[in-house]
Formats: sequence, structure tokens, C-alpha cells
Amino acid sequence: MVKYNEAAVFKWVLIFAVAVGSAIGLTLLAGGLVGALYALVLAIIGCVYAYRWTREWWDNARDRPGGPDHRP
Amino acid sequence: MESASVPLPGASGGHAAAEAHHHGPPEANQSSRIDKQTLGILLFIVSEVMLFGSFFASYFFLRVVVHPSAWPPHPFELPVAVAGMNTAILVSSSFTIHYALEAIRKGNKQGMKLGLVLTWLLGLTFLFVQINEYVHLGFSSRTESFGTIFYSLTGLHGAHVFIGLTLLTAATIRAFRGHFDKDHDKHLGIEIPGIYWHFVDIMWIIVFFTVYIL
Repeated sequence: MVKYNEAAVFKWVLIFAVAVGSAIGLTLLAGGLVGALYALVLAIIGCVYAYRWTREWWDNARDRPGGPDHRP
Repeated sequence: MESASVPLPGASGGHAAAEAHHHGPPEANQSSRIDKQTLGILLFIVSEVMLFGSFFASYFFLRVVVHPSAWPPHPFELPVAVAGMNTAILVSSSFTIHYALEAIRKGNKQGMKLGLVLTWLLGLTFLFVQINEYVHLGFSSRTESFGTIFYSLTGLHGAHVFIGLTLLTAATIRAFRGHFDKDHDKHLGIEIPGIYWHFVDIMWIIVFFTVYIL
């Protein structure tokens, strides 16, 4: 029944912690500008991933109950 | 509306009678992949992301356009070490709430209680450290635009921690009263605050990097 639960969100906490941790390390080593650019690249990758995920979700949901292609 | 009160062809006995007496709108569709409580908190979190996004937009505007020379403006300094310790505390609390959820999924109620109490204590510690930081910072929200956006962004997050603590308080009290069990439907009262708490944690990681490190 449940695919989107607390355990799935916890996985995202770990992903964010690792991503931002690497950005913090790079900022401290190479300076603010490099860290900011790296964080920007990570943010763009995240946005692309989110966009593709929502497209996939919508494609899967079209023929479900409530979706525009659903035929009872 | 009309179709809801018309008996379905082939429907038998009591079900048909129940359909005949049903005058309200048809039942809302229930997704087979996500329950409505979890969907509700996820949609709420999406709106919260947009709220934080507007604050981050203001922060970067002030930092890049208004004050491009020095950030934070001289002579102010931010206590990075204290905030880093606070970050570790909050990240730890995500592990403890996850432990509480994993415990109740396996039917371990003592583990659930321990995880909830630890999470609550870690969240309270975070809030106290942040208030203590505010007291000793040496500037207020009226100190230039820097002070305004600093207190706005960290204060917005602090308010979310406070709300999360309130939810955790309710969940902990219910846990000690024996309201939760291993079935999914019987521990949603921890699952939903747990998702919210993870969101608060993720937002702090981003706030910490943006405000204190960058």
C-alpha cells in the first residue's frame, strides 16, 4: 500500500547530508565561489531528477482511477 | 451526484440497499500507492519548500546584489562551530526518529519510546542552543539587511523546529499511553511527524551551508 513513507524520506536525509557535506568540505578547501558553484550543480542535478520523477509519476498515474485516461 | 443514489446493475442485497440510501457525493478515490495522511503531509511539505525558497531568494538577492563586498558585513561574525554542533544534533535526531519508527514496525514498543524521547530531547537541545546563539550574536534583526535576513531565515527554521517538537510531544505522550502498534495504520501518529521532522532536518542542512559556510 505505502511506497512513500518515513523510511523513504529518511533516505533523502542521508542523500542531502552527504551532498551538502561534500559541498561544505569543498567550500572549506577551495573557497566560497567553488563551493557555491558545486552546490549550484548539485541543485540543478536535483531539479532535473525531480522533473523526471514527476513526469514518470504522471505517466504512471494517467490510467489510474482519477486520471484522465482511466476507463472504469 | 445522481449516479451515487442509483443502485448498480448486478449489485446484490444489502449493498444495493445501501447504495439506494446514499444521497451524498460519491466516495473520494483512495490511491492504492499512498494513504491520505502521508499524501497530506507530503503536499504540505511541498508548500513549505516554496516558502523556504522565497526566503532563500531574498537571502541571495541581499547577499549578491545589495551587499556584494563583504558577507557577513564587518564587524559581525557567525558562530560556525556552534552551528555545526547544532547541525550534528539535528541530524542525529533524524536517526533517532527513524529508529523509533523501525522499532514500532517490528513491534518493539520500548525502542519506539526510547527513540521518540531521544528525538524530543535532541530537538529541544537544538532549539535552546539556537536561542542561546541569538542572545550572544551581538546583532539584532534590525542590524542592516544582513541581520534581518539572518534572523528571518534561521527564525523561520526555528519555528518549524518548534512545531515539529509540538508534534513529537503529542506522539511521545501517545506512545507512553500505548496508542501505537506495529500495523502501519496504527503508527501513523509517529510516521507523519517523522516525515515532517526529516523535512525540518533537510532544511537546516541547507540553511547551515548557505548562511554559515558559504
